[in-house]
Amino acid sequence: MARAVAVPQLRWAAQPATAGWAALTLLAASALPWSRTGRDLGSWVAESTGLALASGSSLAAGVLLVAAATVVVAVWPGPERSRGAALVALALAGVVLSGLLVALRGTPLGPGAVVAVLGFLTLTGVGLSSSGWWFVDPFLSAAVLWAAAFVMLFILLPLASVVVASVWVDGRLTTEVLQRTLSSPAFFALDHPGTARNELLLAAQVGGVVAVLTGVVLWRLGWGQRALRGAALGGLAAAALAALYLGFGALRNSLLLAVVVGAVSTGLGFAFALLSERSQLPTRRLMGPLSVLPLITPPFVLGIAMLYLFGRRGFVTHRLLGVSTDVFFGPLGVAVAQVLAYTPIAYLVLVGVVRALDASLEEAAQTLGASPGYLLPTVIWPLARPGLANAFLLVAIESLADFANPIVVGGGKPFLATEVFFAIVGRYNPHEAATYGAVLLALTLTVFALQQRWVGGAFYVTVTGRPTGARPQPLPGWLDWAASSVFVLWMLLVVLLYGSVFVGAVTRLWGFDYTFTLRHLQDLHPQGWHVLRTTVRLSAYAAVPSVLVGFLIGYLVNRVNFPGRRALEFSSMLSFATPGTVMGIGYVLAFNQGPLLLTGTELVIVLAFVFRNMPVAIRAAVAALEQIDRSLEEASTVLRAGAGLTLRRVVAPLARSALLSGLVFAFVRAMTAVSQVIFLITPQHNLATTQILSYLEYGSQGRGAALASVLTLLLVAVVLTLQLFSRRLDPRTAQLGAG
Amino acid sequence: MTVRKAWLLLAGLLLLLPASSGAGPAQRVVVLCSPNPAWCDAIKEEFPKATGIALDYVRLSSGEGLARLRAERRNPSFDVWFGGTGDPHMVAFEEGLTEAYRPKSWNDLRPELREAVAGKYIPLYAGILGWALNERVLRERNAPVPRTWKDLADPRYRGLVAYPNPNTSGTGYTMLATLVQLYGEREAFDLLKRIHRNVAEYTRSGAAPGQLTGRGEVAVGITFIHDAVDQVLKGFPISYGAPRDGTGYEIGGLSLVKGGPNRAAAITFIEWALTPEAQRLGPEKGQSYQIPSNSKTPIPPVAPRFEAFRVIKYDFVKYGSAAVRDRLVKRWTDEVFPLPK
Repeated sequence: MARAVAVPQLRWAAQPATAGWAALTLLAASALPWSRTGRDLGSWVAESTGLALASGSSLAAGVLLVAAATVVVAVWPGPERSRGAALVALALAGVVLSGLLVALRGTPLGPGAVVAVLGFLTLTGVGLSSSGWWFVDPFLSAAVLWAAAFVMLFILLPLASVVVASVWVDGRLTTEVLQRTLSSPAFFALDHPGTARNELLLAAQVGGVVAVLTGVVLWRLGWGQRALRGAALGGLAAAALAALYLGFGALRNSLLLAVVVGAVSTGLGFAFALLSERSQLPTRRLMGPLSVLPLITPPFVLGIAMLYLFGRRGFVTHRLLGVSTDVFFGPLGVAVAQVLAYTPIAYLVLVGVVRALDASLEEAAQTLGASPGYLLPTVIWPLARPGLANAFLLVAIESLADFANPIVVGGGKPFLATEVFFAIVGRYNPHEAATYGAVLLALTLTVFALQQRWVGGAFYVTVTGRPTGARPQPLPGWLDWAASSVFVLWMLLVVLLYGSVFVGAVTRLWGFDYTFTLRHLQDLHPQGWHVLRTTVRLSAYAAVPSVLVGFLIGYLVNRVNFPGRRALEFSSMLSFATPGTVMGIGYVLAFNQGPLLLTGTELVIVLAFVFRNMPVAIRAAVAALEQIDRSLEEASTVLRAGAGLTLRRVVAPLARSALLSGLVFAFVRAMTAVSQVIFLITPQHNLATTQILSYLEYGSQGRGAALASVLTLLLVAVVLTLQLFSRRLDPRTAQLGAG
Repeated sequence: MTVRKAWLLLAGLLLLLPASSGAGPAQRVVVLCSPNPAWCDAIKEEFPKATGIALDYVRLSSGEGLARLRAERRNPSFDVWFGGTGDPHMVAFEEGLTEAYRPKSWNDLRPELREAVAGKYIPLYAGILGWALNERVLRERNAPVPRTWKDLADPRYRGLVAYPNPNTSGTGYTMLATLVQLYGEREAFDLLKRIHRNVAEYTRSGAAPGQLTGRGEVAVGITFIHDAVDQVLKGFPISYGAPRDGTGYEIGGLSLVKGGPNRAAAITFIEWALTPEAQRLGPEKGQSYQIPSNSKTPIPPVAPRFEAFRVIKYDFVKYGSAAVRDRLVKRWTDEVFPLPK
């Protein structure tokens, strides 16, 4: 990312704004209640206004005094720098005092507390700007502080709660729970006492054999000294894979799945990407829907479909092949479902990579006599390697975090993401759940860090290849046909799976009675429709702040230079690398008591959605901003517009199309969220995705399929509307919808 | 300009979306509901008609319900725990999550049930543990009809057995405790390890094995017999029974949550739930065929009777204590669950 241009400091001409904020802070702190009685957001304690508290508590009195002082400073005529410095000192004191007051009282936060703290934060920002310590516009500096506060509160605090809960049990620091959980065979066991063979020895033997073989082969190829290192690495990798294959437990299941699914999805995604760019057959036009598929698939749909087609009474296994088998219940079934779900993600990443391949290199190779078949391993593969690594790691993270598929098709076997859920829901052991969560977090963060280091942090691949004038070589005929037939088979499988869910929604009992019936759809009344309405409403509520906050943070991180910029960027992206169940349990641990009591309200669900989808919004914003020339903003600044005005009137309209697609994307992602909200639902606030799970678990497969079908159709409608709308809004950037 | 108007319109529309959770009627009771979801729906409909108080419920199986109550200890959102096997109710009482309440109809409740629970919760119903059998699947696989618990270890039942996971289901724990009381802990766990090889799936809820059997996915689903009766009445081709070497039973619980938000409404609910009219909802609308605890309530004709099966003398107090329960469940999770099949 290029270095941001510092916005030159302005005279803070609109002084009334500072005074206004200060007055608002004073008013809120004194007149609005600081406490609520319970969970309900409207249950304000009338006697807890700042004025009432001030008589009993010196802290409260201090807060009011500081607020009054800020008003005075805001209107006092004097040199701007010293006013700014005074404002910073006072406002910081205000934040600290308010925080202490809230913490000591321990009651759930009321509006007075919230507005007061935010007000003080804003004043700190304004002061930092006026005093010249931060070389930014007051609006932006306040925005930075707000963004930092929100990110700390709703991303870092929950994650910290998870890590702390794994070692802080009953008020003391102990690794007892940690050790017990990690040494349990349900977590990981290599040499199981119940089996006859010695798995550890076996894995070591496999590693040894592979090491020797690799060493011999490499030495024959003339690697010399490095053959030894290659052999060692090969042996270690083989031993690790063998250990994964032979072992037991949640860690083994999740890791094995991540590795296998990552490899297979990346391979398929690469093949499809090559097809879509280089194929000469008409099948490449079917590739369009492929990229949209992961968006519109609610969770559990693929799982239900797998059950329907490949379960014990599945259509393919039982009806057609006549076997009644369990083989798909467990890691194998989950692997198939995940490959189907995540290949489109790998495809999206690799399409950009393939498009960016420099065709002139291939042309050069061709003029030197290379056949198209020779080009693939010698020219294309090395160029695409970093992109392939990127795709592999992304899919690995998604696989590790996957919750929906293991729950439906996992056959009751343990996986890390589901064990977090069962540890809390089944055993109520938040410390055990936190241990699983911490392990999962460590894994995904490691993968995320690897990915950032190797690929430099570009998840969202923009479609801007530099034309070199050379045309890319089409695939050799035999390869084209082979890959296209794989793709056609793939699409048929996908259609079959989705189709089975739609069919299951209107048949009486899958596996027994295939007569057509609308009873399942009728049975959705009233609970199913009610839940769907709630989901749509909450997702809509979450979509707008998601995009706004994401856009703001994207702008700050891309265009403004301030201390802690990298930290803010990293923390905002953290929720991308955090599995949903971990974030979910973090929210429960962090917001279940004390001043921050939020569980059981709609607000906490909306917040979970917002901060979960933020990284996507940030990435989209950054991509859009990089296409907008900074000279436009400079012109606006030169004409004395503040940053707020510039953002609103200059930048936002130009990024309109990206904002809209970000909005729809955030909405769709919220509609299909399950793992991070499954701990936060209540009888009044139940969501469609968790309702599908309930239906499945309590035997109403038909109703589950019906609700899933309705949800899918709704999402298809939303995405299609976006396609239509964005084309009319801005034909130039219509391609942005591919994200 | 039109785009700006569109944004404003969108914002306006969003604000107008009706909030679904309004304040509602003044009084409400929040119920943690553990039995069949149909029964939960039935009480949600009938209780307001009888008393004018609105009812909200969350359906959680008994193990999960206990977990939820523990999680919300400091700020309970539930008022009453309705139904579910008794052992978790016992644990909840022991941990101070529920309080003892003596309803007005105490003397109408069946004395054997009252004594067994020793005042730690209010008995709501009684149900016998057993299994649902799909004889067609058994014939397809040439497996005989099982007669005792030990029969289930026979390799001919490979992949044909399902029972609930004791971590989440009270039914599963009842099975565990029954085996321990029948054979002693060491032999019971040996048996469970051998049965494990035949298990197709450990289900999350107690009624699910019956559903799996009904769908023909397994041949033997260990569940409470009244859940199997429900499947038969729904038209599934299964039969039911219980092991001949002895079987356990449950005494479904009704508990007043300590510190719940609507205590008065909760007490009204408890009194109502024990009346014959309310208990009749179980078989009539709730698809539940347990033996009701109020002796004045007529026993549903299809309900499995104690006289027909060999039921052990289940020590509810011992096996309902948190220490014993947690230890047995943990032992099962560590020793039986991770075994390869």
